[in-house]
Amino acid sequence: MLLPTSSVERSPRILIVDDDGQIRQLLAGFLRENGFGVALARDGVEMRQAVLAENFDLIVLDLMLPGAGGLDLCRELRRTSSVPVIMLTAKGDDTDRIVGLEVGADDYLAKPFNPRELLARIKAVLRRSSGGSAEPALARQGFGFDGWRVDVLRRELINPDGVLVDLSGGEFELMLAFLESPNRILSRDWLLEATRNRAGDVFDRSIDVLVSRLRRKIEQGGYGIEVIKTVRGAGYLFMPKVTRA
Amino acid sequence: MRSWLNKLGLDTLTNRTILLMLIGIGVVHLASLYAYQLALDRDASIASDVRLADRLLTIKRAVMRVAPLERETVAHELSGGPIEAHWSRAEHAIAGGPGSAEWENLRARIQELAPELTSGQIVIGSNRKLERDPHLALISLQLPDESWVNVSVFSKLTPPSSSHGTVLSTSLMALGVIGFAILLVRWMTRPLRTFADAARRLYQGSDQARVPEEGPREVRELAAAFNEMQARIKRLIDDRTHALAAVSHDLKTPITRLRLKTESLKDASLATSISSDLSEMEEMLDQTLAYLRGERTDEDMRALDLVALVQTLVDDAMDAGSTISFSAPARLALEGRPLALKRAIGNLIDNALKYGMRARLTLSSDAGMARLVIDDDGPGIPADDLKRAFEPFQRLEQSRNKDTGGFGLGLTIARTILNGHGGAIALANRAEGGLSVTVTMPVKAADGTKIS
Repeated sequence: MLLPTSSVERSPRILIVDDDGQIRQLLAGFLRENGFGVALARDGVEMRQAVLAENFDLIVLDLMLPGAGGLDLCRELRRTSSVPVIMLTAKGDDTDRIVGLEVGADDYLAKPFNPRELLARIKAVLRRSSGGSAEPALARQGFGFDGWRVDVLRRELINPDGVLVDLSGGEFELMLAFLESPNRILSRDWLLEATRNRAGDVFDRSIDVLVSRLRRKIEQGGYGIEVIKTVRGAGYLFMPKVTRA
Repeated sequence: MRSWLNKLGLDTLTNRTILLMLIGIGVVHLASLYAYQLALDRDASIASDVRLADRLLTIKRAVMRVAPLERETVAHELSGGPIEAHWSRAEHAIAGGPGSAEWENLRARIQELAPELTSGQIVIGSNRKLERDPHLALISLQLPDESWVNVSVFSKLTPPSSSHGTVLSTSLMALGVIGFAILLVRWMTRPLRTFADAARRLYQGSDQARVPEEGPREVRELAAAFNEMQARIKRLIDDRTHALAAVSHDLKTPITRLRLKTESLKDASLATSISSDLSEMEEMLDQTLAYLRGERTDEDMRALDLVALVQTLVDDAMDAGSTISFSAPARLALEGRPLALKRAIGNLIDNALKYGMRARLTLSSDAGMARLVIDDDGPGIPADDLKRAFEPFQRLEQSRNKDTGGFGLGLTIARTILNGHGGAIALANRAEGGLSVTVTMPVKAADGTKIS
């Protein structure tokens, strides 16, 4: 049974690599408050030392670093380890994002980011990596069902005609929660835990609303299939056969 | 002056040059033809006077020698061509009258050329019996026995002129010169067209719009000066763009710090308030960077579902407590840049909600065009300001006086993005009040799924 990270006994260890001292300290304080163990590195040199000394559960890596840039460091990390990486990009340009994902980052966040958003992303990435810990990070890139494709890194849903169907952050997390546990009844509480704290969902939209929005985009897209089934009194069931790509 | 020149199609340098050359060649041609004809006429008239004098002498001698009874017959036999001779007891010509100066001239010339004729009286004038005719001269010569020979001259005895050939050859020459002039002017003005193209490309933000520095020296100098000016303008724009982009970019680090600091604030309402201020600052930075980026984009065109894209924006607005509705077909696939389109349509929705309280979105597709109409219930935009609304940094404060944040780039960015998709935005005030924004863009669905 997959459980959200809060139930994991040992608190996850996170390495923060950023050249701005204040951001490093503030981020460390924020993550510690939220139950993570934190180590800090200023640049590539310090990062290499830290990674050699300890096995981290996740690395938060700034793209703009003095010396070796974040992209090079990420590529370097990937050669030896499958530790999840969340990239902090400063530009928010599409190119940076895509390049970051191509060198093997598991997620990205553009500065200036909302700390709660980062927290949500960290939890989501940890949840995904603990789920399939045997697989290397790059193999967790996608899912497929009924002709639809989901690109986890680019956070994209593509319909059977190859057309991009836009999802909100919350809808995408909900989708991932379903894809990771297909053909099983998932309770509202479980789904809420998996999708909460997203920046767009500060209002804690009820899971029912989120499910109905996701349904509308998938089921009413003209394909006439039932994808998410409501199980009265228990929760929701994702019906299609899911493949991993 | 310019307007009528233009109306005649004479607004190009080529046409004006051709016109000037035509006028020039025409004037010179006519003047030389006139001078030539004048000289020709003089020669011809001398030649014809000589021949006239000879004929007159011959007729007079022949008629004198025969008996009076045969004189009329002889005179008749000697007639021919333009000359007709008769014998009579009295003269037929009368001197004086309207053409007398000319007759007197002719008489003087004849007397000079044939002194023998002066043995008797010579009267030149119009025919006494006939109406006056300027082409008809009647010369009466008195014979020694006081009788007269009357000679009618019907026209001047001039040889046929060769002026037709002259006109033809001159016209051919003129045509040749004009043809050559067209080629010459086109060749000379080609650098000007290159300049115009280059200036336009610079305006469109292209990096390379240099004019080749070749051709005559004047053109080379102009090209060099033009290239220098262009480089200066580009440097100026680039510097400012970079400065603005750098400031926008560097502000992201302090904003990130502030965001982290608000997390440790005990006062939750203060934290929320600061957080929303930070969001606003972030939005302004994003809009500035998007504006500076202009049409340059590294996002690829791809097939996307416009319905889902707008639906996400509408849901987000609804979650933020806005009153917004959306009616659309199940799907509408088209080729576009998802992030850019989200920004453009998001800006339009934000405007409608900021200024118009409520937003109603309607998406449809018709004849290969997707059409998104966004209606609001705000005050609209005064007709005079409708065009200005797309200019950067215009906030149209007078009518839309709410404190709204943002600084007037939303519409500019939206229009730039939609133009980049081959689409357009139109603003109109609704009769019922409120503004109606209509976005149209071509549906080029890669997979042909145009579902209504």
